Amino acid sequence: MKMIEATDICKSFDGNAVLSGISFEVNKGEVVAIIGPSGSGKSTLLRCINLLEKVDSGTIKVEDEIMVSTNGSGKAIYAQKKELRKIRLKVGLVFQNFNLFPHFNVKRNITEAPKNVAGASKEESEKIAEELLAKMGLEDKADAYPCQLSGGQCQRVAIARALALNPDVLFFDEPTSALDPELTLEVMKVIRKLAEEHMTMVVVTHEMGFAREVADRVIFMDNGVIVEEGTPEEIFTNSSNERTKLFIKGFNK
Amino acid sequence: MRLILLLSEGLMVTIQIFVMTLLFAIPLGMVITFGSRAKNRIINGIVGLYISIMRGTPLILQLAVVYYGPFYIFGGHMDRFAAAIIAFSLNYAAYFSEIYRGGIESIPKGQYEAGEVLGFTKPQIFFKLVLPQVIKRILPAISNEVITLVKDTALVFAIGVAEIYRAATNEMSRISSFQPLFVAGVFYYVMNLIVAQLFKLAEKKLSYYR
Repeated sequence: MKMIEATDICKSFDGNAVLSGISFEVNKGEVVAIIGPSGSGKSTLLRCINLLEKVDSGTIKVEDEIMVSTNGSGKAIYAQKKELRKIRLKVGLVFQNFNLFPHFNVKRNITEAPKNVAGASKEESEKIAEELLAKMGLEDKADAYPCQLSGGQCQRVAIARALALNPDVLFFDEPTSALDPELTLEVMKVIRKLAEEHMTMVVVTHEMGFAREVADRVIFMDNGVIVEEGTPEEIFTNSSNERTKLFIKGFNK
Repeated sequence: MRLILLLSEGLMVTIQIFVMTLLFAIPLGMVITFGSRAKNRIINGIVGLYISIMRGTPLILQLAVVYYGPFYIFGGHMDRFAAAIIAFSLNYAAYFSEIYRGGIESIPKGQYEAGEVLGFTKPQIFFKLVLPQVIKRILPAISNEVITLVKDTALVFAIGVAEIYRAATNEMSRISSFQPLFVAGVFYYVMNLIVAQLFKLAEKKLSYYR
C-alpha cells in the first residue's frame, strides 16, 4: 500500500494551468524532496493533497483511501465530508510562515487540535505536547507565546503541532524559506531526526544540501510538470536532462 | 445638590439607552457582517444598501423616521423609548458590522489554513482561532463607537425622551443659569472616562501577545 498515490493531477487558477498532469507516489518511511523554480506548482501540489485546494481533475489516494477521483466526463469528484475528515488526520502540513496561533501559548498551540479534533483528553494532549516539545528541544518554551520566539523556534513548534495529531505523512512547504541560515540549520536538524525515525515526509525545499543528504527520492518540477525524478545521486550528479542540469547549476556556487 | 439629583433621573435614562443599544447592536452587527460577506448577491446587496443608508443619513433623522414613520404609514403609535432603542441599534449595528468585517478580513488566510489542515471545523476555526484575534484588533475602533454612542444618546431629546441633556436644558431655562448644562457636561465626561478606562483595561488584558 502506498502512502500517497496521485495520478494525473491538473489544476488551473483563472485559466492558468499550474499543475498539468502530475503523477507521483510516496511510500512508507520515504523522504521525498520536491525541488524546482518558483511557480512550478510545488506548493499547489502540496496544498491539493492537504485539501487546501480542489483539483480540477486527477486522482489522489491516501493509504488507499480515495480523496478525489475523476469521472468519465473529466470532472473531479471528492469523497464525502466524513471520509475527507478521516484523510485529513492522516496528513499534516508545515507552512512556510508557520501560521502559529498567536493568541495561544506554545503548549496550547500543540494541544488544541488533539483536544478538539482528535478528542484526546486534557492529560493525554498535554503529555503529547511535553514529549514533542522535548523532541524539538523547546521544553522551556511551553508557556511562551509565538511573538516571543525566533523564527526557527516557531517553525519547530509548528512541526510539533502537526505531529501532535500523529499523521502518517508529514508535508513541508518550504519550511525554511523564511528563515536565516542559522535558524534554517536548527529546523533542518529536526527534519533529519524525523527522517531517521522513518517518518514519511514530503519536503518542498530550496535547501539542496538537505535534498541531497536526507531525501530518498528527489522530484524536480517545472511549469506544472515533473521534469525528472530519481535518487539524489541521479538528480544532482548524473542527470541527463538539460532543464534539471540548468536548475541545479544555479545552486552550485 | 438638588440639581444633581434632578439630572440623575435623566442620567438613568441615558444609561438605559446606552446599555440597551449596545446589547442589540453588538450581536446584530455580527449578523450584518455575515450578510455583507455572503456569497449570495441578493443578501449581499440588501445588506450593502442597509449599511449605506445607516451610515449615510443623520442619526437624528433616522430617529424621527422610526418614531414618526409608523404613524404616517399605518397610523400606529410608537413608544418613544422603544423608537430610540430601535433607531440607535439599527444605526450602530451598521457601524459595528463594518468594524467586525475589517477585523475579520485582516486576519491572514494562513490562520484559516492552519486550522483547516489540523482538521478544525469551520465553526471551530471561527470561534476558537479567528474571533479572539479579531476582538483584539477591533477593540480601539469599537471603543471609538461606544464613546460616540454615549454622546449620541443626547439626540433622543428630538423625539421627546427625557434624558439628561433635555433635563439640563429645561432646568437651564427654568432657573436662568448655565449650571445645569455644565453639570450635564460633567456627567457625560465622567461616563466617557469610565468607558475609555474599561476599554484601556481590556486592551491591556489582551496585550499578552502581538
